[in-house]
Amino acid sequence: MKDAFSGCHPILNFFYFVTVLTFTMFVQHPVFLLISFVGAVIYGVVLNGWKRVLRMNLLGTLPGLLIVTLLNPAFNHYGVTPLLYLENSGNWVTLEALVYGLVLGSILFIMILWFSCYNHVMTSDKFIYLFGRIIPAMSLILSMSLRFVPEFISRLDVIRSGQKYIGKDISNAGLIRKVKYGLNMLSILVTWSLENAIETADSMKSRGYGLKGRTAFSVYHFDKRDRFAGMALLSLFCIVLYGCLRGAAFADYNPRILLAGMTVQGRKAPADCPLSLSIVTFASFTAFCLIPPLIDLSEKFAFGRSRKEVGKEISVTYREIYKELAGEKTE
Amino acid sequence: MMKHKIVEIHNFSFAYPEGKESLKNINLSIEEGSLNVLCGKSGCGKSTLLRQLKSVLAPHGKKSGEILYCGRPLGETDRRTQSSEIGFVLQDPDNQLVTDKVWHELAFGLESLGYDTPTIRLRVAEMASYFGIQNWFMKNVAELSGGQKQLLNLASIMAMHPRLLILDEPASQLDPIAASDFLETVKRINRDIGTTVILTEHRLQDVIPWADHVIVMDEGTILTEGTPREIGKKLKQEGHGMFLSMPVSMQIYMETDSEEECPLTISEGRRWMSRLLENKTPVIVQPHEEHVVRDEGVKGKKRIFVPWQKKDRQIPAVTMEDVWFRYEKDSPDIICGMSMQVEKGEFYALMGGNGTGKSTALSLLGRVRRPYRGKILLNGKDIRKYSDTELYRGYLGILPQNPQSMFVKKTVEEDLYAVIGGRKEKQSAEYPIDMKKSEAIGGIVSLIHLEGLLDRHPYDLSGGEQQRLALAKILLLRPRLLLMDEPTKGMDAEYKKELGQILKKLQSHGITIFMVSHDVEFVVEYAGRVGLFFEGNVVTDKPAREFFTGNYFYTTAANRMARHYFPDAVTGKDVVKCLKTNLWTDL
Repeated sequence: MKDAFSGCHPILNFFYFVTVLTFTMFVQHPVFLLISFVGAVIYGVVLNGWKRVLRMNLLGTLPGLLIVTLLNPAFNHYGVTPLLYLENSGNWVTLEALVYGLVLGSILFIMILWFSCYNHVMTSDKFIYLFGRIIPAMSLILSMSLRFVPEFISRLDVIRSGQKYIGKDISNAGLIRKVKYGLNMLSILVTWSLENAIETADSMKSRGYGLKGRTAFSVYHFDKRDRFAGMALLSLFCIVLYGCLRGAAFADYNPRILLAGMTVQGRKAPADCPLSLSIVTFASFTAFCLIPPLIDLSEKFAFGRSRKEVGKEISVTYREIYKELAGEKTE
Repeated sequence: MMKHKIVEIHNFSFAYPEGKESLKNINLSIEEGSLNVLCGKSGCGKSTLLRQLKSVLAPHGKKSGEILYCGRPLGETDRRTQSSEIGFVLQDPDNQLVTDKVWHELAFGLESLGYDTPTIRLRVAEMASYFGIQNWFMKNVAELSGGQKQLLNLASIMAMHPRLLILDEPASQLDPIAASDFLETVKRINRDIGTTVILTEHRLQDVIPWADHVIVMDEGTILTEGTPREIGKKLKQEGHGMFLSMPVSMQIYMETDSEEECPLTISEGRRWMSRLLENKTPVIVQPHEEHVVRDEGVKGKKRIFVPWQKKDRQIPAVTMEDVWFRYEKDSPDIICGMSMQVEKGEFYALMGGNGTGKSTALSLLGRVRRPYRGKILLNGKDIRKYSDTELYRGYLGILPQNPQSMFVKKTVEEDLYAVIGGRKEKQSAEYPIDMKKSEAIGGIVSLIHLEGLLDRHPYDLSGGEQQRLALAKILLLRPRLLLMDEPTKGMDAEYKKELGQILKKLQSHGITIFMVSHDVEFVVEYAGRVGLFFEGNVVTDKPAREFFTGNYFYTTAANRMARHYFPDAVTGKDVVKCLKTNLWTDL
């Protein structure tokens, strides 16, 4: 299924994911991470369905999170709150290292969640389009290689069965023969592909490739919805960035756990950031993360409403027509 | 008057750097808006001539004479103009595609010409709608069928709004239905848009009837040119081999001494025959007595086999019993309960629509894929019990669709030696018999008619020659059962005849041949028994003639034309024979 945000302009898709991923990576405040996590899960559910998200979380990423959480205190021993003394290495397991391990593990975990959404939304042609703007020749090269790789594989398949037919298959042969037959196939593949590439080159030349002033066409265009969504994303981004620079999401785990807007173990973060700014920053980030699901939801809602209205209008119109006709008849 | 000619060629000659002249003294003019068909045997210089009409594609070599485009020498027409105004569609659907997306491919030429996005969007949309591409506009090109790919190639050329459209055997790699669709589209472009078209094609039946101008080339010169009807007459008078490629209605007409206008299409041919046989009760002639000998392997429906060795019961060469196959666990079945038998020494052809799984059936017989249910017996032994050496070196020979996928060496001769383990005279797994290798190769070369090609590079051979080289390589492994996947694809009438004769020779020495094919004319001429493949199974199989006389669509053009009088006449020769008997008895 395609969600509404996937239909937005690629630059918005890309901007969204880059922002979310960078903030998740560099801002290590637990509330921030929680927001990011919730956002990733909600968007993941919209894109992949809750079954797949749940399965991926429980089987793949949750064990990873646990491992990272436990590994960090085993190797890092900074911090002021000792929990456990390790006899054999003579080191302390500290609360700070344990918590930081948990934070690192969650970052990894959330990033994986975001990337599963990224893969769904940022298809190869969107990527090509974006980078084609920066380097025009690049988009053609990328597009051509995306064409050639599957072509190569299918050609190799043809060659392999062709060689099998004359009893030169690599599967049932000794090592030396295997290598020999394998090299043989490779040589056929290269010759054949080069031969075919001559025709491709002819086709490119005959369609004017190499003339001056080549342009790059794309099927994407920036429409009104994109402008609105872009403005929303950009302004929210600015607020979050400003907030973070002012220390609204300050977090430090070494040697003491210091978190902005919270009192941990009786200590407060050093930054002079008012609580209100922290709240605004976090709220903005929440809104930012939730924009794709919100767009999707609003679009679904709008679609449902428009269908209902169409149904209503038409049935009302026809009922009126029938009534009129009936009236005319009785007269 | 000068203005109407889009291309004029005056005394043009061309020779490759090291070689003889491949074009000699060509004089030709092409009228704006006309549809021109250029025909001739393979290697007669058609492609070389077409490529001269676009500077970037013209091969290097010695040229003399001049080519005018719109009244100006072609060399003086700049590349930008040529790129957009002279469109060129090549033979292979795959190799012409440059990018990975359909929309990008459509826009490629326009991007090169430097159009801005709104213009490209309009042109691309226009072409996608005209060619019916809008449903697969966003797809990857890898997902398309061969016919769709070639249509896309054509559309992406047409997006540049050419004045002259050149097509070099564009439909030769397509199956018959996709090919006639494609040619139909070309015709529509000429009719609706008025683009001048120059086309070469093997399947002249489909293009000759609506050509304005036909040009026949032979050995680098223009043999004759004119309207289709004039050409038919001239070729007939000269007894030229190209006459065999003309539409069958024309061939039949030329054999009679009818005074009427020559029929070009099946429907014209039918009407012509009705007029000819008016007020006569047609005598039903059994046209194919001469062919009965050919089907000696199979007689009647019971398939009683006449053995060469006097054994009572023959084990069939191939038995498929209730075979099922699918590619993926959840994908639909491609082969559904397929059962069939091929007797030893038989020439069996399997026909059927495109993409129905005929090639898959062939790959099951070649043990590249395995059925998940059912049994395949080769020579009475389960296919799974053969070792690779037993199976592929001495029993089974398989000719793949792409002969190029088999070539390993620099010359034809070395390539042949490579199959049997090099030039060294020693027995090996590939070559277990004690015949001198040079003798074996010599024998194959004369059987397959590869003489004179031994020093060439395999890739420099023409399509038909490549096919024959691949066949020779397969035959060096001395198979008793030969499986072929569309061996006549993209070949002209003359090569087909040659291949048919080679296969007949093999068959007469007891080699069983199983072929998957689309080519009705080839099958009716050479195959003994024909099966129709549909919905993963063989619906019916009958001796070739019986099979074709009963069908409505799956039959030859000659039969479609003459069936209302002579339902048993399958080939052009049959129809001529029937006609002659009828007209003659009346006199």
